Amino acid sequence: MTPPRSAFGGPTLPFQGRERGRLLARYNASPAQALALVFVALFLLAFLVVPLLRVIQIAFTGPDGAFSLVHFGDFFRTSLLRESFWNSIYVAGMTVLLASLIAVPLATILARYRFRGAALIHTLGVVPLVMPPFVGAVAMQLIYGRNGTINLLLMDWFGFRIPFMEGLNGVIFVEALHYFPFILLNLSASLANIDSAMEESAQNLGAHGFTLFSRIVFPLALPGYVAGAALVFVKVFDDLATPLLLNVNNMLAPQAYLKITSVGIADPMGYVISVIMIACSLGAMLLSALVLKGRDFAITQRGGGGLSRRSLGRWGTAAAAAFVIVALAVSLSPHIGIFLLSIGTVWSFAELPDAYTVQHYVTVYRESLPLISNTVLYCGLAGLIDIVLGATLAYVVLRTKLPGRRLVEQAAMSAVAIPGLVLGIGLLRTYYDFQIPFTGESLATFWFMLVIAYAVRRLPYALAAATAALQQLHVSLEEAAESLGAGKLRVLSRIVVPLMTGGLLAGFVTSFATAAVELSATLLLVARAPDAPLSYGIYVYMQSAAGRGPGAALGVIAVVVVAIATYAAFKIAERERGLKSREMF
Amino acid sequence: MTSGVAIEHVSFGYGGTAVLDDVSLDVEQGEFFAFLGPSGSGKTTLLRLIAGFGAPAQGRILIGGRDVTSLPPWSRNVGMVFQSYALWPHMTVAKNVAFGLERRKLSRKEIARKVDAALELVELTAFANRRPAQLSGGQQQRVALARTIVIEPEVLLLDEPLSNLDAKLRVEMRTELKALQRKLGITAIYVTHDQEEANAVADRIAVLDGGRIQQIGTPGELYDRPANRFVATFLGTANLIEGHVQGGRFAADGFALDGIAAPDGPACIAIRPQDIELGAFSGGVAAVLVEREFLGSTMRYRLRVGSRAIVVDAPHHRGAKSYAVGGTVGLLIDPRQVSVLREN
Amino acid sequence: MTRISRRTFVFAAVLTLGASPAFSQGLEDRLIIVTSFPKDLTAPFAGAFQKKYPGTKVEVQNRNTAAAIAFVRETQSNPPDIFWASAPDAFEVLKKSSLLQKYQPKAQGVASKIGSYPVNDPDGFYIGFAASGYGIMYNTRYMRANNLPAPKEWDDLKKPIYFGHVGISAPSRSGTTHLTVETILQGEGWDKGWATLLEVGGNLTQVSDRSFGVPDAVNSGQYGLGIVIDFFGLSAKASGFPVEFVYPTVTTIVPANVGIIAKSKNQKAAEAFVEFLLSDEGQQILLDPKIQRLPVKEAAYAKAPAGYPNPFKDAKLGARVKFNADVSEARYALLNSLYDRLITFRLKELNAAWKAIHDAEKKLGTGGSAEAKKLIAEARRLATAVPISEKEASDKAVAAAFRDLKKGEKAAGRQAEFEERWDSFAVKNYAEAKALAERAGSAK
Repeated sequence: MTPPRSAFGGPTLPFQGRERGRLLARYNASPAQALALVFVALFLLAFLVVPLLRVIQIAFTGPDGAFSLVHFGDFFRTSLLRESFWNSIYVAGMTVLLASLIAVPLATILARYRFRGAALIHTLGVVPLVMPPFVGAVAMQLIYGRNGTINLLLMDWFGFRIPFMEGLNGVIFVEALHYFPFILLNLSASLANIDSAMEESAQNLGAHGFTLFSRIVFPLALPGYVAGAALVFVKVFDDLATPLLLNVNNMLAPQAYLKITSVGIADPMGYVISVIMIACSLGAMLLSALVLKGRDFAITQRGGGGLSRRSLGRWGTAAAAAFVIVALAVSLSPHIGIFLLSIGTVWSFAELPDAYTVQHYVTVYRESLPLISNTVLYCGLAGLIDIVLGATLAYVVLRTKLPGRRLVEQAAMSAVAIPGLVLGIGLLRTYYDFQIPFTGESLATFWFMLVIAYAVRRLPYALAAATAALQQLHVSLEEAAESLGAGKLRVLSRIVVPLMTGGLLAGFVTSFATAAVELSATLLLVARAPDAPLSYGIYVYMQSAAGRGPGAALGVIAVVVVAIATYAAFKIAERERGLKSREMF
Repeated sequence: MTSGVAIEHVSFGYGGTAVLDDVSLDVEQGEFFAFLGPSGSGKTTLLRLIAGFGAPAQGRILIGGRDVTSLPPWSRNVGMVFQSYALWPHMTVAKNVAFGLERRKLSRKEIARKVDAALELVELTAFANRRPAQLSGGQQQRVALARTIVIEPEVLLLDEPLSNLDAKLRVEMRTELKALQRKLGITAIYVTHDQEEANAVADRIAVLDGGRIQQIGTPGELYDRPANRFVATFLGTANLIEGHVQGGRFAADGFALDGIAAPDGPACIAIRPQDIELGAFSGGVAAVLVEREFLGSTMRYRLRVGSRAIVVDAPHHRGAKSYAVGGTVGLLIDPRQVSVLREN
Repeated sequence: MTRISRRTFVFAAVLTLGASPAFSQGLEDRLIIVTSFPKDLTAPFAGAFQKKYPGTKVEVQNRNTAAAIAFVRETQSNPPDIFWASAPDAFEVLKKSSLLQKYQPKAQGVASKIGSYPVNDPDGFYIGFAASGYGIMYNTRYMRANNLPAPKEWDDLKKPIYFGHVGISAPSRSGTTHLTVETILQGEGWDKGWATLLEVGGNLTQVSDRSFGVPDAVNSGQYGLGIVIDFFGLSAKASGFPVEFVYPTVTTIVPANVGIIAKSKNQKAAEAFVEFLLSDEGQQILLDPKIQRLPVKEAAYAKAPAGYPNPFKDAKLGARVKFNADVSEARYALLNSLYDRLITFRLKELNAAWKAIHDAEKKLGTGGSAEAKKLIAEARRLATAVPISEKEASDKAVAAAFRDLKKGEKAAGRQAEFEERWDSFAVKNYAEAKALAERAGSAK
């Protein structure tokens, strides 16, 4: 991957007087937009590209120390890695399919029908993204494992087991439960942006039910769905926690991880695999952009308002409620497991814990407050940085023709494929020697670097969500404001951002939720216990058998923190949506 | 096959606010009917109820004598053209038009034939494979129309269909629309806030305000015999004068008119500006000329009668007599041209 | 926490620095420890040390081994002071990168060897402060539910009855497992040792990527038996889990180490900490039921509870094996890679081969035709074969393919080339073994 230097070094912009104005006009951009692009590019250069290159350059270095692609040749000559490559593609593709089967009906039900506690259901739909490290794995095994609750019950009653957690299919099962919220969030935001007349005109012409959905509603919500599905694909392709949890090694991400983290091995193959994963992830993202290319989704001439909501009949309500309950129960069962762990004494080869106690919460009570406030602070800031950068970049990419904007976008998207450890090492290597004035603390281990690491790795989520939201927004809404004399910045803040609220919110929630349980970069960059977030606390407990209960208690706290933040965000969104969709008379 | 529409005592509200209040009307088969009213009058809501978007709290809606009140939109066979056109951006023009036919399980050949015919009817044959975003506003409007009429609905509903077009196009389109409706002989209901548009296209108009029907009639009837103050002013300009009737004589401050057929008591009358003639003052109603505007076909005078402002339009032609500002003139009013308004 | 309160925190810290009484004892006021040990171990030591030297603030950074090494490597301009971990390989990596400094402890009464295992790094860069023995941990509920007998020896784990019930952590991921594998290879010889590893490998249900994954799974009852270090089993039992732990007759002893990081800014405090670990007081802390490690001072066992393993008395613990550290070091990375190719990454195939062999042997019982016996013998040979001889494995040029090359050094190929060869070898052999065993089963 080339650094996005050409983003501002390509066709050079002569920054002089009128000439500049004319050039910018050709790129359909204002100076502020050009500046914004440069700013985002610099941020990525400083905190993603340079640190990354400093680590993965080893992938391009031959045995003699010179530049070489010999290791890439080795990659394709190695049958295990070839097999891993196809396994990763297969698992990612099938996961998208399975996750869609959960998320699409859920999003539709929530967007379409009046439901009690829709915000609560939305919140619960995000929680599966919050899988606390280690605790989540233990809980998952205790529920779905070979001798987990469900299989023990099946054995007792029917004498057989279902291998939920075995092999590639097990990975697909777990990943789908874990990542379907990506589709749910983005599709919901898209559905909320559809002009209700689009649906009504189809009903008027005789369409309803599944036809209406498959021919009209779903195609119109495609930007959100594709954004979500592409994220699921890429995330699953790059995810290593789940394959490791299931002990499936013949996939790319675990192969890279095992190589990179193996003590004392100087093999560059781990970094080679990382480069290949980045390339594949970018490829998937480009493909998703291609799917949407040439289609005009700017349909919200009224500024959205979403599908008209209606009440369901008794049977409809029962069916929809049953689906929602089953989907949420299955996807939240690991969290139920974590909760049981946190209040259980010993839980071993049994359907449920032997006995219950609040002792674990008492244990963590004293130290959990700073962990919680640190988590909220870090992840909140990271989410904020992400939506600001994501919305800015999406806006510049879609609304201007500035040179290099696509390159900056791809650089931002590539972060999705970068293992936290690799970025952590890169940040340490690049910034450890910078000292913060007065305190003398290193910039790399300053708590804000953790915020940046979180923000960089989750920027793709916010960027995808913002891009989808902007794709649905008709440019005429902006032009109308511009014709009334509003400058580009004013248009952005008064028109574009408010109308993108749903999409930005989806981005924020995803960033926040996933950052709250990130561990690999955290373990590297946290230098002092008072600066540590919840995930670090969980790691520390989960290293011993006795720490399982307290670790689970911290896991529950992490989930609750994310749930509260998400719920608040949805409440805000509901209010926004209420303002936008005033019924016409 | 086209049908009439009957609205019987329909009421409707959103969370406590009444939007429609006991509305009844009949639309004849083959008639071009308009709902006219300012925004917030309930006209679009009434149209949507006919299409099936929402159910009335009270009352019934009948199409061709069949009670459709509880039928969902997709079972009503009513075609609606939306204000925003609501063309599906992900489909070509031809696909948009074919959509409703596919729902009706016609053969592929039959669909193609009907789509071609509909596009020909709106003169868009050459644009069949374009996407909506590649069309001008007027063309999009025609696609929306073609998409609706191709299913041969019993009733054609048009929700402010011309409001997104520029003024010149609007006039052209409404003529075309009218011609099309005549040609197809289809019952059409047209929602608009523009009285000129309603007058131009509609056989009959229902004027709505505040969720109630103010008056139903042909454009001429509404203009000549407005039932109330709202109708009188909403359709054209009118001089409204409040006064008292006593034995067929209407009297107000500075005013006296004989030959008014109304019961004794307080009354409000409406007189169109062109129905007042100016002359030299020789008794009767005396007016001071305050201002005049030359409008081409007419000269508009603003006068003061006592404390009241009166507008008079005098037809203009070469050599027509005109009056100077500041002078006193007499007003000649034919009592047959005076409308006595209902109290409301 | 807001920025402002954070600044006050820094400010307050500066104030306490000024008033620090540590100067009176000659120690610096901070001590930064990077460790992969669990909190159960680090907290009591850090607490006791701080009590003894109240002027020195101990900052413990808990990181997993990979993150800990990366951190020390990347922070050379302002390094932490102490590296404190189990895995000897982590110390070897740091030592080779000149990130550790030599230190000769002053403490008296520390054994130089436990069994045949040297306690300290012979070059003096890291110091053993505790030891642990390897053994088998099992979940009693699981064993009862599956009617499994309790195992006693490593060889028991080869038995078909344990098929699909055993877990281990990969030697490439766990320095202590690596030592166990190396011990088996040195004790039984290269070829016979690999045969044992592969036959036990056939019974494995999981090769975990982290040491704690194995006790975690046994504690949950995900599988029944795990090959683990003693304190995992003993502390889990102490925490109330239905598990037992046994030392086989031939057991491995692995040290837990501490080292002072090169260019430490708090040299005296770092030295004081190492001495504290080796003091009577520090050694005593190891007996805590949540820690359960073996002191390296014989005297410390005087106060140990009854039944506490004592390698100074119990000949079982580590005495029977002659352990050659030089041999181990030379083929360290190669061995990890080889184990992963043959077992970790091809576990499914290895399982299938051994399942077929077990089935065939069960079917034939003591009888069976000569033809069938031959087929099984051949299947066993294929399922226990190793693609590289001991001589090749200790060849310098081959070993060089698995580490950073020094200037002018030549390797016999790239790591990826070797790995591809071994992988194909394993896949092919296991498939053939499976086919042969199946033929033997149907031949009778």
